[in-house]
This record gives sequence, structure tokens and C-alpha cells, in this order.
Amino acid sequence: MIINHPLLGPRDAAEFVYLGDAGLIGRPDGMADNAADAFHDYTYLRDNPAGEHRELWYHEQGDRSWLVITRNTLTHDITRVELARDVARTQGRSR
Amino acid sequence: MTQPNRLPSGLTDRSRMLNFTWNGRALQGHPGDTLAAALLANGERFVARSFKYHRPRGVFSAGPEEPSALVQLRNGAAQEPNTRATVAELFDGLVATSQNHRGSLEGDLLALNDWLAPFLSAGFYYKTFMWPKRFWETVYEPFIRASAGLGRLSMEPDPDHYDHGYLHCDLLVIGAGPAGLTAALEAGRAGARVILADEDFLPGGRLNAETHEVGGMAGSGWAAQAVAELAAMDNVRLMTRTTVYGAFDHGIYGALERATDHLAGSGGKPRQVLWRLYTRRALLTAGATERSVAFRNNDRPGVMLAGAVRTYVNRFGVAPGQRVAVLTNNDDGWRTATDLQAAGIHVSALIDTRAGTPDIPGLRIETNAAVRRTRGRRGIGQITLTNGAVIDADCLAVAGGWSPNLHLTCHQRGRPEWRDDLAAFVPGRDLPPGMSVAGAANGALTLHAAMKEAQEKTVTLLQEMGFEPTGAVLPKASDEPASITPFWHVKGKGRAWVDLQNDVTAKDIYQSQREAFRSVELLKRYTTLGMATDQGKTANVLGLAILAEAAGQPIPDTGTTIFRPPYTPVPIGAFAGRARGKDFRPVRLTPSHKWAQEQGATFVETGMWMRAQWFARPGEKGWRDSVDREVQMTRKSVGICDVTTLGKIDIQGRDAAEFLNRVYANGFAKLPVGKVRYGIMLREDGICYDDGTTARLTETHFVMTTTTANAVVVFRNLEFARQCLWPDLDVHLISTTDGWAQFAVAGPNSRALLSKVVDDLDLSNEAFPFMACSECTVFGGTPARLFRISFSGELAYEIAVPARFGDSMIRALMEVGREFDAVPYGTEALGVMRIEKGHFAGNELTGQTTAAMLGIGMMVSSKKDSIGATLSRREEMSRDDDLRLVGFHPVDKSSELNAGAHFLTRGDPADMAHDQGWMTSVAWSPELGHSIGMGFLKRGKERMGETVRAYDPVRGKDTLVTVTSAHHIDPEGARQRG
Amino acid sequence: MADIRLSAAPVLGADIAIGDNRIVERDDLALVSVATPQGGDDAIAAALQSGFGLPVPGPVQSSGQGDMRAVRTTADQMMLIFPHATPDAEPHVRQALSGAGYTTDQTDVWMVLEISGPDTLAALERLCPLDVAGFADGAAARTVMEHMGALILRLGPDRFWLMSASSSAGSFCHAVELSYRNVA
Repeated sequence: MIINHPLLGPRDAAEFVYLGDAGLIGRPDGMADNAADAFHDYTYLRDNPAGEHRELWYHEQGDRSWLVITRNTLTHDITRVELARDVARTQGRSR
Repeated sequence: MTQPNRLPSGLTDRSRMLNFTWNGRALQGHPGDTLAAALLANGERFVARSFKYHRPRGVFSAGPEEPSALVQLRNGAAQEPNTRATVAELFDGLVATSQNHRGSLEGDLLALNDWLAPFLSAGFYYKTFMWPKRFWETVYEPFIRASAGLGRLSMEPDPDHYDHGYLHCDLLVIGAGPAGLTAALEAGRAGARVILADEDFLPGGRLNAETHEVGGMAGSGWAAQAVAELAAMDNVRLMTRTTVYGAFDHGIYGALERATDHLAGSGGKPRQVLWRLYTRRALLTAGATERSVAFRNNDRPGVMLAGAVRTYVNRFGVAPGQRVAVLTNNDDGWRTATDLQAAGIHVSALIDTRAGTPDIPGLRIETNAAVRRTRGRRGIGQITLTNGAVIDADCLAVAGGWSPNLHLTCHQRGRPEWRDDLAAFVPGRDLPPGMSVAGAANGALTLHAAMKEAQEKTVTLLQEMGFEPTGAVLPKASDEPASITPFWHVKGKGRAWVDLQNDVTAKDIYQSQREAFRSVELLKRYTTLGMATDQGKTANVLGLAILAEAAGQPIPDTGTTIFRPPYTPVPIGAFAGRARGKDFRPVRLTPSHKWAQEQGATFVETGMWMRAQWFARPGEKGWRDSVDREVQMTRKSVGICDVTTLGKIDIQGRDAAEFLNRVYANGFAKLPVGKVRYGIMLREDGICYDDGTTARLTETHFVMTTTTANAVVVFRNLEFARQCLWPDLDVHLISTTDGWAQFAVAGPNSRALLSKVVDDLDLSNEAFPFMACSECTVFGGTPARLFRISFSGELAYEIAVPARFGDSMIRALMEVGREFDAVPYGTEALGVMRIEKGHFAGNELTGQTTAAMLGIGMMVSSKKDSIGATLSRREEMSRDDDLRLVGFHPVDKSSELNAGAHFLTRGDPADMAHDQGWMTSVAWSPELGHSIGMGFLKRGKERMGETVRAYDPVRGKDTLVTVTSAHHIDPEGARQRG
Repeated sequence: MADIRLSAAPVLGADIAIGDNRIVERDDLALVSVATPQGGDDAIAAALQSGFGLPVPGPVQSSGQGDMRAVRTTADQMMLIFPHATPDAEPHVRQALSGAGYTTDQTDVWMVLEISGPDTLAALERLCPLDVAGFADGAAARTVMEHMGALILRLGPDRFWLMSASSSAGSFCHAVELSYRNVA
């Protein structure tokens, strides 16, 4: 596979490490009242779509960027590659 | 007499002779020959025994599709079985032998199988080897193993070496026939970066095998001219002997280059190179493969594909026979007959299954007829036609029609489509992204049409990529007649062969249909049609047509199997590339490695690192002697150990302290400058996965250590937290693992030793207490970092210098340490001391270990949010009756403990229901003089002093042990704080 | 111990000739990483310009020339490479940048091989998955070669720096040498 890195251009997937669902960016607040339930869902519940999937990849043998990649799990077609840091900020994550 | 069947024509180099041996006999050929061509030139028709029935077989094709002429090349360790003689390039000194026979090729004892054929039909494995069950391993498997397979491996290590490589291009053209050459010329002239790959050693494809003209010259001449033009272009790379074997995601193609297979010796260069081709676009111009017709005994040596007959005559200058008959269902047969006549070979008859075809002067023509059967011993001698005519022939050229080589179009699940006018499958519309197909591979089976389509598609691809096509005029080439009327199978008695490599007959296909294995996928697996090294290149479509005939339905309704990589076999050695022996993976060495070697250290692989395990001294009888000495000397005076392998991460930023507070389960926000703190890291599910120390050098600068094993994973997780969880924290990470040579200096004399090493730093307990750290210099100015931390439980430090000084540093430390009898110690002594001290390590961090189990549950701060904290507090993760880490002493002090033993309460039966935990680590303690252990025991902390069984059925041991504190020595920690 | 002084050693001291090609360890170069504080891009750019006369390199690029380079390594980090004999490259850079970035000495983390010669591009085809033939002079990228992380920087038509971890330097240099031997 080729991942078109938003900063570096196309790179072989061999340079990357796969993590999983991009939902992992949405880590709950551990000090909230419902933290136990929220962390249960966050840690264990995933969609497993046959089709478009947003997922986290890490450019370990490259610039160490975490990326959010929109990939079709049936065709491997990659339609979008974003810096995970930008995605996290868009989702309101900050400090 | 040499080469009785050699003709004066052809493209081989007659000025030079090549000597080779075939089954020990000395034969000759010419440069440009394949082994098959040379064998035929020498009159060798019978070259192989078939897979299942051991029937005589000859050369059937002239290319990679060969099902029959599989041979062994070379000898000794380099022996390579199952090689297609039709693609093996002849070289001087080649040693080739036939395979799959017991005794001689001609007198094969296993030819008996052919007489047993009635019992060996489709599915016989499944029906025969069922009962009795006890025969499975004792009778059936040895029997099947003995008779299965074709050639034999040398059973010696592969003496050759292999390489991998990476290439990038705008356009990959797969196949250098007329279409591929046209495409490469067009793209090359437009300035695109082009790779043109062809599996043959002579580019040109069918241009070298036919008598067509291109641009007013012989087709082979035009091909040579095109190749010369391409070779002169810097932007074009022509790769001969290179098979593109797979189409992978996003324009990546796999290719195997047979770099030195055509040479007697490799000259030290890799034999084959496995290329990874990165392409923007690919054009498949792989041509087409001819297929046969099924009739009785159509497998005899001498029965060949008509296109192959033309190849041997026109390209290699070899007559496949002296009296050649031609069977055809299309216009190709006519060209075969005229080419043979032009070469002066007698054509016994042209048999056309169609009606009303034109006369060829001097040729016997039978229309509306087919071949009913062949006769002959060890090869064809005579054929009988469906109209009863009997004709003498020592070669039968069969023209059954052409199947486009669409294999690569299927590699991403593309489905071929049937075209009635061609009686063939052509590539479907769902091609791999970026791939186009042109020429015969796309069903443009005639010359001009193929070249025209290749040029048009190339122009489109160039425009898509932003290149300006030159619009060159195509050279003049005509479209040869190519009309076909499908004809598949002459029904009747006897065995009509469909898949020559797997010995599958038309009857097997009918039987499969009868026994309800009707889907093509089931047919394939039940009969083995289309399996093995040739993957049914000549057989698949014929088999499908007969299945359709048996089912009484059209071919498109019957469906087709699709193809996956590789297109042709790729040796395992090529996939492995360099990754064998000591090149299997990188080796990491510590800065003191050379010194440790000089000291006679024994090394152990820990991950990729080589670490000193112990340092044997003269007179020591075994590793235990060395390890005991290293432990005792360290605890008595001082020992030195290279701990460079621990992961080191430099962490800086305004928010670095806050960041650490969130990634460690225990508090880090208030760690003072100049101090080190031990920390544990949890996974988000609450399980402990790593531990280590982090030192604060300045307000904004920390140095973290991780375990050796988890250095990469911890770094990855920290980057995740930094980028994905808290993207606006100002914190920055960089690994410095390799940058510092770090040595543990442990033992009561460690302070005294280091006082002579460190410049201008007060090491007194007051000035530099336990868990202090400082940047400093050593030996008069070399920068260093000093940490007062202890894994051994002794007064201990870790001292780090830039790695370039590491070798010098260990020598200097040992020199200074001489007055203290300082010893170097390895990982074994390190392990013994940590078990004596009760520190957990990898054995204890199993991926199921909670902080509560380790007895450090209170370290998980509830005052802050940190990774894993919330789920670590789940009820089930902190049950009071759960496993707890404790120590163990054997009741009988002379008995030795084993890690892996399970604990049982005395009197309980030894079963899972009564399991009380397990021993994780054991060591012989020189300090205590007996074996000790640590492990997880249910309610362990409440069971101090209790005697339990350590039950180890694997090693047949059952030992009584006393539960103790895991801290076998100095539980109060007085030594390390002293 | 006034009489003992530590001496620095190259990682391998490699100096290998294969035909007209050379593989030479550059142990005279210092490497210091510089991380950009959040919101500190302008300050870094100014400090790099005033301290070293270098612009901030873009992705897959280095700035500078000869042996003095700034290489972009991550989204918010770069590496300064320059000749420096003593083990105080990091304080030197820290001072020159006057605290505009977070500096970490990387000199001993890496081994730098300078490779050159007519077979260099062919050798790299056996080693490097990137399209280095398409690299302009000064282009630089991190990637993986024979399972080892590496940084490649093009110095000229047939001249590159290959950098990889110092602990696995022996394996890395062997891989580079073998790549040349397989093509030269």
C-alpha cells in the first residue's frame, strides 16, 4: 500500500505502524463522573465497517506523525490522509 | 550426428556452440536457445514423466505456460527442480535431468500408476484414504509422500544469494511484445519514466516467433530496432528476464529478475532480484496463451501447441518433427502449415474442425474433421481422425485458440468477461486502479490491432499523467486472419487430457459434474484442474468449456476461477532476499561490546541487542560459577554492568512535567529538578506494561528510561498521547537510546569508585542521595550524566557518557575499579540480583498484570487522570482475593525451583479448579545459599509463612515451598539508601 | 584520576572502497536536534537565520550546503548537522539559538556514512524504497532500509549521506556495502 502523507507525499505502508479506529483520539475525561462507563466504551467498543474506515497509522520509520487515514476496508482505496494532530484539534482536543 | 532437427533459419547464434548434458548425455545447442529448443533440436521428444500417472510427456509449449517439460537444472546444492525447460536459457555447461521417475526416464517403474488409472480418478484421495483410520499416518501418508511431487530438492542449503530492490516509474509496461514495444516507444519518446519488463531474454514476444512484417521489415528486426531505440533513452529501463508476478495495492507491482540464472556462475552477484515497482500507471501487454483441444491420448510427446511449433521453427530454427500434422479450429493452423512448409518441413495434413477453408498448394487438408486419437510408443507416430483417416505424424501441432494473459487483472479480484467472437475470456472492467490492458492481453489478437490499441491506450495514460504524446505514426503492420469457431473436445473412448500438469482428463471433469462438484471453484479443488506450478495456463479455459459442455450451459454461465499472485512461481529464496543467516535481522551492539568480547563474555540476544550474559573466568566450570561470583563480588564490593540497552527518551517542553504526570500512573508533576522517580505505565485498559525511571534535569527537561523490550512501543505511545490526545501541550520527544553509553555501578564500593571518576561532584549521601541525578563530567572533562538508582538493591549508580566514549569509559571504570576488585557482570547476575531484591521485570509483566497484583496498587494516583487509571480501578482488577506477587523459598533448601510451576494449596488436587497461581522467576541466590523464586499467588500477601506446592507436571516436579516476601534481601532498602 | 582521559572512537571507522565507489564514516560531524516550541515557529526561523545563517528546511528537504545542514525530521523538529570535534555540540547550538528551540545532542545516536561513486544510485535501488533518483540535491528523508530506520540526504549526483542508529551501525554498513557489491 501507499500512504500519501500530507507533508511528505506518497510513502510505502512498510514505513508505518497501524493502530486502529481513529475514535481513539476521543479519549474520555478520567475525572468525570461517568468515567468508568466512558472508558469501557472507548477501550473496548469499535465499529468494524466493511467499507470506509477512519483509522490511525503512525509513521514510525519516517517523521513520526500520527495520521488519520480514511481507507475502504474492501478495496484498500485511501481517500483521505490527515495529520492526527490537526484532527484532534478539530475535535476540540487541546491540552 | 549432432542436432538432427536443427534448421538453417532462426534467431539463435549459430556461430557458437554451447555444450550441455541431458540425463548425463553430452548435447549441443546455441546461444539464444532455451533448453527445450536445444532438446528438440537434438531429437529429444520424450523429456518428462507426468505427475500422477507417470505418462511420457514432451515439450508442449515454448513459454512460461509449459505444463509438461519440467526438469531439474544444475546439480549439488544448486539443484533446482520443476524448472520449465521452455524458459530455461541454455548456457555452456548446463546440467539438466528429467524428473519424477524411478529408474530411467524411459523405464520408469512408477509408470504402473497409468495402469491403475481407473482407481485414481478425481477425488480418489478423498474416497480412498478414509479408512481404516490407523492407516492415515502409518500407510497412506508415507505412500502418498513417496509418490507425490515432481522433482527433488537437494536437501542442502541454497548456495545462491538473492536481493531485493525498489524502482519507481511513471509507466510500467508489462510484456515487450509488439504492443509493449509500441507503448514503451510512445511513452519513452514523450519523456515519461518507463519500465518495460519482459520475462523472456529476447524482447519482441510473438514478433520473434511469427513471420509477420512490421514497417517493411521482419517483425523480429523491428523489435530489435525498437529495443535499440529504447536502450538509448535515459528515461526508459528495459528489464529482460524479469517477470511481473503480482499487481498489489496502489500501483505497486512485484517483479522477479532472473539476474544470473542464464550464466554458468553468478560471479558473486545475486542470482535473482525481487523488485518492488512503484508505478503511477501500468499497461499490461502480456499477450495471450494458446490452448489445446481434448481428444484421446492428446498428451503424447510430439503433441504441441501450434504457436509453439511456429516458435521453434521461426525463432529457434528447430524442427519439432519431420512429419507434422496440424489440428486447428481457427486460422492460426493455416499459418502454422505454411510456416512449416516454408521451412521445408513436411506437413502430413492440416485438419480443420471447420468447414470450407481455402486450399494450400501441396497440402493434404481435412475439413470438418478432428483428431480422434493418437498412437505411438514414447511419442506420437500416427493419428486417427474422426472421419476415420489414419495419418503418419511425429508431431501434431494443435491450434485451439488463444486466451489473453489477463492474470494480473485479477489480482485485486477483477473478474474476466467472456467474448464469444474470440472464444476467450478478456479482462473485465474492474481492473486494479492505474492498470490498463492492451493488445492480445485485452483480446486484440491480431498484430496491427494490438499495436494500435497499445498506442492509443498509452496516449491516454500519458495525457492523464500530464505528458505530451508525440503522436508518432504506427509502423505498417497488417492484421492476420484470426477467425475462430470454438471446438473443445472430441468425445469418445479413452482419456482426453485437459490439464497435462495435473493429469486431469475430460472424464474427470464429467465425473466432477456428476458428483455435484459443479462450481468452477469446486471443480478446481476436486480434480486439481489448474493447480500446481503452471496454474492451468493452457488448461483452464479448456476445462471450463468441458464443464460447460457437461452441464449443458454456456461458458459465461459456468463462470471462471480468477488468479492471484504470483503469475509464475517465485522462489522462496527470492522472497527472503538477504534475510537469512546473520543477515536475518539487524544486530545492535552496546558501546562496551568489543571490550566484553575481549573479556570472554558470553552474549545473549535480547531483542536485537547482543548483551553480555556473563563473563567466565579461568577455572569456572559452568555459567553458574561465573554468575555466582559476579553477584557475590558486586554485593561484597562493586560490579559494573552495561545498561545502554534501556530505552532513553529525551522529553522537553513547557508542559513536559504535566505530560509525564498523565502518561505515568504515579505522580510526576512535582518531581524536583535533580531527582529521579520510578514510574509505572499502564495501558488504557489498566494493565501494567512498562516501568522505568525518569530524571528531571531542568524545569523543562526530563530523561525517561524504558525497559529494553518496550523502548519502541513506549515512544510510539508517547507520540500518540502528544499528538492525538493533548495536541496543544508543549512537549517534545526524541530517542537518545543509542546516544549514551550507560553503566550501572553497583555495590558498597560504588561510591568510592565513582568518586575517582566524577569530576567535582559531591557524592556523599547528603549531597547526592538515593534517587538523585545530575549532569556532570568524568575523567577531567568528558560530559556525563549520573543517576543514583539501584536495580540490584545495593548502593548503586548509573553513569552515562556519550556513546563515542563508551569503549574508553568501560576500560577506565575497570581500571579505576581494580583497587576495589570491581567485576563486570552480565544479564544473568543482573537477573539474580533483581530477583533477590524482589524487583519485577518482563517475566512478571505478562500483559495481564495489574498494579494491585504487583503490590503497587497504591501508586496509581486517584488525584489525577492518567492513561489506564480509570479502568485499573475496576472492581475485578483490584480484588483482595486476586493474585499477589510474593517470594518463595523451597522447604528443602537443596531443591531447585522452576519458573512456570503452578501453586496448589496442600491437600488440594492438581487441577485447574484448584490453581493458586504460578512461579514467574527463579534464581539460585548466592547470598542466601539456596534457590529462591517469585510468583503470583492468590491472596499471597496474607499467606506469608504458609507452605504450598509448586507443581510442575511439565518437568515432573512437585516441590513444597514457603511463601515469603518477594524482597529476599534487605527488604527495608537500607543498602541502596546508605 | 587525573591520569585517565577518555578518548572518543568512531562507531565503525568505516572506509570501504568498492570499485570507484566509497563508503566513509563521517565521525567529524555533530548532530543536534532542535524542536520547535508550540507557537515558536517564527522565533526558531529567526534564531536559525541569525545563529547559523540557515532557513528552516521544508519537508523532505535540507537547508544549507556542504557539511552544514539543517534537515527537517518531524513536523516540529529538525536536525542540525555540522562539523564539530568536541562533545559539546548541543550547548553550542543551544547558545546559538538563544533558547528558541529545545535541543538534544544526537551525535552519538547516529552513524553518518557518506557514500559516493558511479554505482551509488544503482546500489540505493537495492536498499532504499524512496525515489532517490528523483531527489534534488539537498533533499532529505527518513525511511527504512533493511529493517533499520535511516535518514538519507542527497549531497550531489552520486553522493549521499546515509544515517542510521549507531547501535546497529555494523548491520547498516554491511547492508550498504552489500548493495554496492551486488551492483558494482
